[in-house]
Amino acid sequence: MKIIGNKITTNMSLFAFLGFLIIVFSFTSEHFLGIYNITSLLTNISYSGIAAIVLTLIIISRGLDISIGGVIGLTTVVIATLYSQSDPLPVWLILIIGLSTGALVGLLNGWCITVLNMDPIITTLGAMAITRGLAYVISDSQSILMFEDTTDFISNGTILFIPIPIILFLITALIFSIILHKSKFGRAVYAIGANETSASLSGISVKKVKMILYVLSGLAASISGIILVGQTSVGMPQHGIGTELEVITAVLLGGTALSGGKGTIYGTIAGVLILGVLFNGLTISGVRYVHLQIFQGILLLAAVATYEIKTRNEVAT
Amino acid sequence: MKVWLKKLIYSDDIVGALGIFLVLLVVFFSVMTPHFFSLMNFNSIIGNIPAMAILCLGLTFVVLVGDLDLSLGSILGITAILAVFFFKVMHFPLWLNLVSCVIIGGIFGAFNGAIVTKIGINSIITTLGTMALIRGLTYWIAMDVDAMQVGRITDPAFLNFGRYYFPEKSRLIPITLVYLVILYGASALFLNHTSFGRQIYAVGSNEATARLAGINVKRVRFVCFIIAGMLSAFGGLVLVAQLGLGEAYTGQNMILEVVTAVVLGGVLLTGGKGRLTGVIIAVLILGVIRNGMVHLEQVTDISFYWRDVAKGVILLLAIGLYSVRKSFNAKRLRTRQ
Repeated sequence: MKIIGNKITTNMSLFAFLGFLIIVFSFTSEHFLGIYNITSLLTNISYSGIAAIVLTLIIISRGLDISIGGVIGLTTVVIATLYSQSDPLPVWLILIIGLSTGALVGLLNGWCITVLNMDPIITTLGAMAITRGLAYVISDSQSILMFEDTTDFISNGTILFIPIPIILFLITALIFSIILHKSKFGRAVYAIGANETSASLSGISVKKVKMILYVLSGLAASISGIILVGQTSVGMPQHGIGTELEVITAVLLGGTALSGGKGTIYGTIAGVLILGVLFNGLTISGVRYVHLQIFQGILLLAAVATYEIKTRNEVAT
Repeated sequence: MKVWLKKLIYSDDIVGALGIFLVLLVVFFSVMTPHFFSLMNFNSIIGNIPAMAILCLGLTFVVLVGDLDLSLGSILGITAILAVFFFKVMHFPLWLNLVSCVIIGGIFGAFNGAIVTKIGINSIITTLGTMALIRGLTYWIAMDVDAMQVGRITDPAFLNFGRYYFPEKSRLIPITLVYLVILYGASALFLNHTSFGRQIYAVGSNEATARLAGINVKRVRFVCFIIAGMLSAFGGLVLVAQLGLGEAYTGQNMILEVVTAVVLGGVLLTGGKGRLTGVIIAVLILGVIRNGMVHLEQVTDISFYWRDVAKGVILLLAIGLYSVRKSFNAKRLRTRQ
């Protein structure tokens, strides 16, 4: 009972902080709570939010994926290049090829990490260089225009007045919170993060679980890439530079520990929302972009310091 | 089997293999392109790597104790801006500029180190935060000071700090090469022949044992962060002198390449293992690829951008082979027993 209580308070304090931010910004700017601003805020965060949800599982299993930004860039370039051919493939096929790009990179990452026993940071660092490099090679460092109805619908369309990226984000969050918190697979993810040896001794197929996680992460990054192509109408190798750090920041802000075995999807959603609200609110209140990075840095340090001190007190008592 | 061959195959050290790979790369580019093999081109390769090599040296200290510092690129950026600020607004002489920038770099390093060792936050998270924080400060300074809008430096004394050649006329040895030799040589001596240097390795390979052996573990880690910060500041100064300008985004996105080089050089991310020879060879490998691909693009139609792909593949191959060999060696030892 006590453990559940702690879990709830961590998430509660995150959402309380989110509420605090919203109240502050609704005073500093009259436009903040406008329906237009809220929709654009949520649309903007769903792009990196999808990747953050899957990354949460990877970090809980004590891994890391730095190749997210590279995969996003590569996917946008692959899709736009295929579409700009004189006799393009059907759009659904192009999108499937785009998705399999991410899945393939994930497969490579998973293979190196599970079969060759390589460090996840190093592996995905290499994958980041490879994907980003391929994106530059394929596009020859050019931006490739892509005005196309399906991708435009995926990123700018609405169902019942709700933008589709938000719906995609919510569906991803729902599916993964069920997987992580209610399924055997989710328990396996926690067990691997807490202690890999004992997890494998208790009959969990560690390699299979990890492999699936990295493939899913690649897929999620590709979905982000598809949304980005629709939003910007262009595929270019610079897409997604720095996204990996943004996504990692959101996940860690949500209380997931880099040391593994600890973290929740709700926490990550709160982390993504806090970062999004902070950026949007400060921008709309007239704070310049350059100062936002300072706030982002302080926020991350303060949040993690709070967790650290709290856990230390819990251990002490 | 010959002893050296045995050593190359079975030892945990990848420095020898890296050296052979570097030579093969140089031979490859020399055969494939007409202008690669020349003193002028080698000088231009050396001219392109100093900031990178100095940052790698700083990161090596931090990684050897088992931490990671992602904020080094940002520290390089803020010193680049501050160097211009001190020079154009405060009119500092070169030596004072140098001293104050290196001290400021050390202060940022100490800030990282204090958070990591005193509060006990994971170094990746800490430096992810300070990376954004310091970069934000850099943009702030760069945008709010009018004199910074044009960051160009034309004073020859300052420029010579990064562009001088020994002897001046025949342009034989660039001054940056001298810096690299001094810094790497001093660091190698420091790491291998002082008790503090050995303590760094001890802390990295097993923190608990090091503590039991009476080493002040937190102080060692703290000092490594300060060294890394100071070295990054020096790297920033060299870069400003070489380029003749400092901008707010100097060194942005540099850190992942630095991590790549350090890891490729055989420094274990878990700490306690790694040699500076490996690091400098890895930096040279990346520099040769970057330069060689430009030459290759001129004679063939292979895109210059394959270099990033090559970088990633080499990293994965090197570390993959290393970990395969490690498990192979472990098996060999088991069967022998």
